[in-house]
Amino acid sequence: MVDEAAVKHKGAGELLLRADEISFSQGKRLILDRVSFELRRAQITTIIGPNGAGKSTLTNVVNGLINNYSGSIERSPSLRIGYLPQKVYVNTLMPLSVERLLRLTRQSSAAEIDQALAQSDVGYLRQRQVRSLSEGELKRVLLARTTLGRPDLIVLDEPTAGVDVSGEIRMYQLIGELRDQLQCAVLLVSHDLHLVMSQTDQVLCLNQHLCCSGLPESVSQHPEYLALFGQQASQSIAVYAHHHDHEHDVSGAMDTHKHD
Amino acid sequence: MTEWLDDFLIRAICAGLIMVVIAAPMGCLMVWQRLAFLSDTLGHAAVLGVGLGLMLQLEPIFGVLAVALVIVFSLSRVSSYDSALSETTLAIISHTGLAGGIILVGLLPGPAVNLEAILFGDLLATTVADLLALLLTTVLLLVLLVRHWRAFVAVSVSREIAQAEGIEVRRIQVLMYIMIALLVAVMMKVMGVLLIAAMLVIPTTSARLFSRSPEQMVYISALYGLGALGGGISSSFHFDWQTGPAIVVSATALLLLTLAITRLIKPDLD
Repeated sequence: MVDEAAVKHKGAGELLLRADEISFSQGKRLILDRVSFELRRAQITTIIGPNGAGKSTLTNVVNGLINNYSGSIERSPSLRIGYLPQKVYVNTLMPLSVERLLRLTRQSSAAEIDQALAQSDVGYLRQRQVRSLSEGELKRVLLARTTLGRPDLIVLDEPTAGVDVSGEIRMYQLIGELRDQLQCAVLLVSHDLHLVMSQTDQVLCLNQHLCCSGLPESVSQHPEYLALFGQQASQSIAVYAHHHDHEHDVSGAMDTHKHD
Repeated sequence: MTEWLDDFLIRAICAGLIMVVIAAPMGCLMVWQRLAFLSDTLGHAAVLGVGLGLMLQLEPIFGVLAVALVIVFSLSRVSSYDSALSETTLAIISHTGLAGGIILVGLLPGPAVNLEAILFGDLLATTVADLLALLLTTVLLLVLLVRHWRAFVAVSVSREIAQAEGIEVRRIQVLMYIMIALLVAVMMKVMGVLLIAAMLVIPTTSARLFSRSPEQMVYISALYGLGALGGGISSSFHFDWQTGPAIVVSATALLLLTLAITRLIKPDLD
């Protein structure tokens, strides 16, 4: 059972999901080996690890797409999850507006759609055809999609694949803003730890088993992390820890951001 | 004399209209899901079905349906979506079916089978039974389409998103395959096995040029289908062209016309 006291406490830090000794094999290949962790409200958890480490598999265990794992998962009652898969191929042969894409599998009011798009900085795209979006715009629309239906937990599997670096930084800022506005937990899969570090509360360093986990600063000094990613990775983390006085959106246009 | 003429024309027009109604939504779904080649494959392999049906002294449509169902079920058993629908797999099935069917039809005792009618259709020879089969199948398909439309559209937009949001993608996919098999079996009589895919793809492509929503594309496809049907039947009647090919040529003519007009109006269209 999920900790009763934690459930009653609805604010930040409420325990939403506890995974205990999760193992998963595909054929003879062991993909996840006794992985344990907790997800808490308003916290961003980042899964990092090399290719084939089992990151996407772990997200699929969390969001319920994979059920034949061993170990146990306790979700807080009526946990709502918004999920953005890693490789989303969106059909360009179909005429489809952004608004309709958001309504694809659920009924949402116009106000909810407006709010979701605005929160992800893409309110202006509402009437646009999906096939005319850039990769970065599409990613943000898909991010907006995951926030519909008031999720408690958003699972994002490499949300910035195919987005350029400044778009990537903006994307991670957006995810941080969404966490603040929605007070939801975020589970994020990322290759680029140095970009997500400043937004992350908890890092899970995964390579089949959980090599190490904890605060970004402590993980980046952990011997197993250094063995996986090398000294250089831990040094480059500082690079993005500063603030920008302006930034470029995905299309390259510049807009000033006030965040202090 | 005139009455008899009216009668077969009316039957032909009815069959054509029903086909247009069902070809529009099915064609759109198939174009969105890149399944057009599958309908082509089922069409070619339908010749084998015709041969088997005649050999067993059944209505050819049952042979066609049986072969089409065997193919789609085998394809849906293949675990990987991409490899099941790869061009290579489909081309092998398609041409083996066509070749095997032609051998089989050639071996049949009795009067020679009219291969041309099988391959290119014979709308003007539509019987009341054909019309009934087409109508019933269309009603069934329309019911299924309406019931599962949201899921069909979601799976077409993105299998990943649909899967993640609780749609049983695999079930929807298999249902879609079965519906395509049914459609091919009843369209064979009208369009001929070689031209079924054309009727599913060409009006849809014209509609895609200026549709803004999935449903709009379906309705506009139906209008283009109607235009192609009208053009096909009238040119068939006036110039003695074969009806199926005449419909296809009309559909393409409409597509080219639309392309030309949209280029003139919006030169930067994708």
